[in-house]
Amino acid sequence: MASSSDVTPSAGDTPEPTGDTESVSARRGRVRLRRAAVMAVPAAAVTAGLAILTAQGALGVQFAISGMPFTVTATELDGTGFAQFGGLDNMAEGSPNAGDTGGQVLVVTSVIKNATLTKLCQSVDLGGTNLLITAGGGGTKVSASDLTTDSTELSGDAAFDNIEIGNDASTLDKAGPKGRGPIGVFSQQADTVHIANLRQTNYATTAGVFKLPGLKMRFSESGC
Amino acid sequence: MAADRRRGFRSAFRHWRSGRPFWGGLLLALGGAEVLFTMKASLKVVLHVGMQGVAGYLLPVLMLLCGLLTLVNPAQRLFYSLLGVLASLGTWLTSNLGGFLVGLLLGCVGSCLVFGWLPDQEPRRARRRRRKEARAAQGSPLPPAPPAGEPA
Repeated sequence: MASSSDVTPSAGDTPEPTGDTESVSARRGRVRLRRAAVMAVPAAAVTAGLAILTAQGALGVQFAISGMPFTVTATELDGTGFAQFGGLDNMAEGSPNAGDTGGQVLVVTSVIKNATLTKLCQSVDLGGTNLLITAGGGGTKVSASDLTTDSTELSGDAAFDNIEIGNDASTLDKAGPKGRGPIGVFSQQADTVHIANLRQTNYATTAGVFKLPGLKMRFSESGC
Repeated sequence: MAADRRRGFRSAFRHWRSGRPFWGGLLLALGGAEVLFTMKASLKVVLHVGMQGVAGYLLPVLMLLCGLLTLVNPAQRLFYSLLGVLASLGTWLTSNLGGFLVGLLLGCVGSCLVFGWLPDQEPRRARRRRRKEARAAQGSPLPPAPPAGEPA
């Protein structure tokens, strides 16, 4: 008698062994909406604030894109401290993009210590659609520091001040410590650079702090 | 036989999933991975660019780790979600506008889901009703009695 009265309440307390699937579906954690909103509201506010500050040009943003070729255009580029040298970029071993190139791409590395760009446009081809970023269309220009680009194509109307052509890339000094290449490579450098109607196809990398007043980011059928 | 085993696996997976903020952790980790994907710059160039370039890698890795750790160790989810949301917001400055906004949004939504997640509890309405019932049952026979018999 005593044993049977012991068993019944304990079975009622722990229903796990019998109705397993039911108890699983009944006992699951859940996202509480109000609790999530405690974090979501400030996070959304900060995101909006960052975007607005960036669009006003008050905040600099770091760029480092790679792996896929992308296009950069600008109606005008002015820079101080310019260096340019050749280089060889290696793809990852067995990369499907390698084709018959042996996985190596010849690029021109351009380094500009301080640059301002008017009507910057950058597009990345995502296959079918392009991610388009434009900035600097209004009164204030886009400014960038230590702008480093590895390009396969570079076109525009260029003017240089105090240009030195044919230096060894390891001896460059006008674009700071970042504008120095490997020893034994052809290079050129200049005090200032002005390029109108700039168009670059960048294979590997651009990196530097960008200030992007009037930032707009959108998807588009056509690139820059 | 195979279907049976699969069902067993799926119910085990569902059971595992129900005990942790699964979607939040997954979104946070995916956001970190997306930002890292847009950053595929060669490490040589990053070192060339310096400290800020390294931070661009550090924050998405932190997002990825926070997301995975949320899944592995859900008890610490509040800490991971706070760290995750801060890292996600930081990637706007350091890593291609937060992986062109996609990774940043994934990370923020994931972190909020993790933050808002609570383990199994009875629905609040049932709890409130039960409390009210207990009070009513206690109140009518002996109004001034302290709630000694009420289970906390």
